[in-house]
Amino acid sequence: MKLELRGITKRFGSMTANSNVNLVVKPGEIHCLLGENGAGKSTLMNILYGMLTPDEGQILVNDEIVTIRDPKDAVAHGIGMVHQHFMLIPVFDVADNVILGSEPVKPWPVIDYKTAIAELLVLAEKYGFEIDPRATVENLPIGTQQRVEILKALSHDASVLILDEPTAVLTPQETDAFMVILRSLKESGKSIIFITHKLREVLEIADVITVMRLGEIVGVTTPSETDERGLATMMVGREVNLVVDKNPATPGDVVLDVKDLFVEDERGLTSVKGISFEVRAGEILAVAGVQGNGQTELVEALTGMRRPSGGEVILNNVNLHGESVRKFLDAGIGHVPEDRQRFGLVLSLSISDNLVLDQLDDPKFHNRFGRNLKAIKLNGEQLRKEFDIRSQSAEEPVGALSGGNQQKVVMARELSRELKILICSQPTRGLDVGSIEFMHRQIVAIRDSGVAVIIVSSELDEVVALGDRIAVLFDGEIQDIVPPSTSREDLGLLMAGAHSREVSA
Amino acid sequence: MTDTATRPPQIGRIVHFALRARQANMFLVLLFSLFIGLVFGGFLIILTTPALMTSWGHFFSHPGGTISSSFNTIWFAYEQLFQGALVNFHSLRLLIDNPSKINLANVLAPLSGTLTYATPLIVAGLGLAIGFRSSLFNIGGQGQVIVGGVLALLVSISFNLPPFFQVTLEIIAAVIGGALVAGLAGVLKAYTGAHEVIVTMMSNYTMVLILGYLLITSVFARPGVHDGASKAIEVSGQLPYFLSHLNSALLLNFGFPIAFVTVLAVQWFFNRSKTGFQLLMVGQNPDAARVAGIFSRRSIIICMALSGALLGLAGMLKITGVDHLATPNFGGSYGFDAITVALLGRNKPWGVFFGAIFFGVMYTGGAAMQAFTPTNIQFSLSQVIQAVVVFCVATPALVIEAFRLRDGASLISTNGSGGWV
Repeated sequence: MKLELRGITKRFGSMTANSNVNLVVKPGEIHCLLGENGAGKSTLMNILYGMLTPDEGQILVNDEIVTIRDPKDAVAHGIGMVHQHFMLIPVFDVADNVILGSEPVKPWPVIDYKTAIAELLVLAEKYGFEIDPRATVENLPIGTQQRVEILKALSHDASVLILDEPTAVLTPQETDAFMVILRSLKESGKSIIFITHKLREVLEIADVITVMRLGEIVGVTTPSETDERGLATMMVGREVNLVVDKNPATPGDVVLDVKDLFVEDERGLTSVKGISFEVRAGEILAVAGVQGNGQTELVEALTGMRRPSGGEVILNNVNLHGESVRKFLDAGIGHVPEDRQRFGLVLSLSISDNLVLDQLDDPKFHNRFGRNLKAIKLNGEQLRKEFDIRSQSAEEPVGALSGGNQQKVVMARELSRELKILICSQPTRGLDVGSIEFMHRQIVAIRDSGVAVIIVSSELDEVVALGDRIAVLFDGEIQDIVPPSTSREDLGLLMAGAHSREVSA
Repeated sequence: MTDTATRPPQIGRIVHFALRARQANMFLVLLFSLFIGLVFGGFLIILTTPALMTSWGHFFSHPGGTISSSFNTIWFAYEQLFQGALVNFHSLRLLIDNPSKINLANVLAPLSGTLTYATPLIVAGLGLAIGFRSSLFNIGGQGQVIVGGVLALLVSISFNLPPFFQVTLEIIAAVIGGALVAGLAGVLKAYTGAHEVIVTMMSNYTMVLILGYLLITSVFARPGVHDGASKAIEVSGQLPYFLSHLNSALLLNFGFPIAFVTVLAVQWFFNRSKTGFQLLMVGQNPDAARVAGIFSRRSIIICMALSGALLGLAGMLKITGVDHLATPNFGGSYGFDAITVALLGRNKPWGVFFGAIFFGVMYTGGAAMQAFTPTNIQFSLSQVIQAVVVFCVATPALVIEAFRLRDGASLISTNGSGGWV
């Protein structure tokens, strides 16, 4: 199916999100849409998928003008979309979610689960997904939830698939598998619009690359004509430093001492199995590992969110075992949570308010009459400038910001406190190159100021770039702690469960 | 779609103004809701007035007369409603011609009635709004109003202090009582996960039955009489009237300034207090609140207790300012009216304030309408209008669509209570 967007313009108030955008997607083409957060990619795709109406311009399917008023129209025209933030119903199981809205019935009104599940399994097998149709979605890891989304789109016979930052949540291995899926989709004649920030992936898979900046298309190219540096420059509009600039660490005293830590997850299964490690002031410990190997529970235990079932968390010689989150924060632990929208921000509140969420007790933000709104506002404006949070003012609701800017809010908040250790979980997930560069510089700067840092990331590039030491987590245990000079292959093997001895052998 | 920015500047200004005027905001939605309510009420007046129906039966022989007589009837009814609830123009003219105490009293009478009725409702609405903004649904207003009222009565019966201290003690008792009842629901929610809606709703039945029992015990019942009405609150325990020096029929009492101060206090609580902000956070995103080190159990209990405290206070204001004694149906539908008021005010303190006053207007105005229209248009009509207005305010999307207002999305989605309102 050939898809064309012609002269699309979309304004929100005084802001122009898309300005005269033209885009052609040919059948069987993988078309990468590249751009910073807030460049207008998501707006464009939401227009294509019928979630927004354009102010000007047309959408053409197979050279005929079509009107897409809502996602139903889009689906009817063979357009499927996998959103960055999944549109799944958490308490439903996989099969329910996939058939939702187009349930097979036999006899009416009984849902024919047998057929539904059979079709689902056929589809899953065709594209190499391993999935349990009866698993409840909320219990599935994010990577699997995404496959459910993709299956859902495929089950509606989509011939154009819009994938909004699909690899942002995937592990390297999953990403590789995902690329295979993309190619097989392409071979079966489906067109794919692939939105991403990851230049490496773009160069690996794209047939055509369209780069957007500030709502406009600034360039169309192909992988053979460009490289990572060229793409980054096109996206950001200036030279971008793709390598993290950092001096060797000068580790000081031990700040965090974790001894024989055991943590159970909600289901009571032990997901962290006797981990011990130390983090020193002025060094970055990167925790690498495929998602679901205990990272979430480890971070929760280190930030007081989850009470460990055994072991000790000692910060500056104080045992924090069993203390409240408040005590952990007061002890100087900064926490940038994995899911910023769910755990890091209150989306309906303003940027300023979000910048003081965990600092309500700070006398700085109080006066005789209660919360010092002036100080909070001033603090908001200051951090907004300092961290380059793109918004009209610090009084806008945080929910109106793009992902990268939301992450900047969380980071700004944590860094504005007096910290001993900063724990970042997936600090650059879903961020564009410009924002990643910014985040990485902040993290290195805080390290250099003598704070201990733990980075938990499933992004191998990030782990290698930032970590002074890399702890590889597999099945709730630390396989090994290795220097960042370790080869990607060896890291990959450790992440897959091999032991160091086997790797070096 | 057109946009103001693309228009040429000359006609732009007028068009811009027109479009701006159609920009959806809460005020416009309220205005249109009121309009819909009144139009709907107008139809009902026609349908329920036999003379008008007969006239419509002969519509084609004298259409002008039919329309004008219908219009006049409706207009007159609404005029009575307005004048009976807010200000009577006739007495206003008399006052201007002849400024005397009696004339002043006559001018203030309608408003006095309205505000007296609205006073406990303002406080009760605020109590519920505190819960709703934190995503806690206290449905136990009725029970907590009863507890507040009964405890105030108990204080009045048991003590004989100078008026100021007597009233202060009544307030303290009522506030603590309400806070305990709702707080219990909060504790149950925080520690066992029992849903506050169920618990508070059940507490309503409990309190109604306890009230019924108490009213026949010797502590509360009048000696020798068992009609269910309690002993009266002594004058020292009543909230003093404001304007009784003008006319003893003016019942506006010191409950109103108390309610007014409560509005300011709740406003402060949400805008400026740490606890209020925490409640808001827990209500909007409990997960993020937890990461920020906020103890959500504590927040839930505090929030429910505060909500109950205000409902207890509402009960106290009602019994010491309006009723002066308790009857088995003392709580009435207050708890539920207060929910509607909170909804009408979109859980904002000033919104609740004016929402309650709107209820007062419809209540006193409805009575006046029934008394002064020649066909005695039923009091219930005012309640129907009220219901239609509430319905429209609760569904801004409907109003925005019906009147083609622009850019209403933010209005529809921002409600500060996580989907309840």
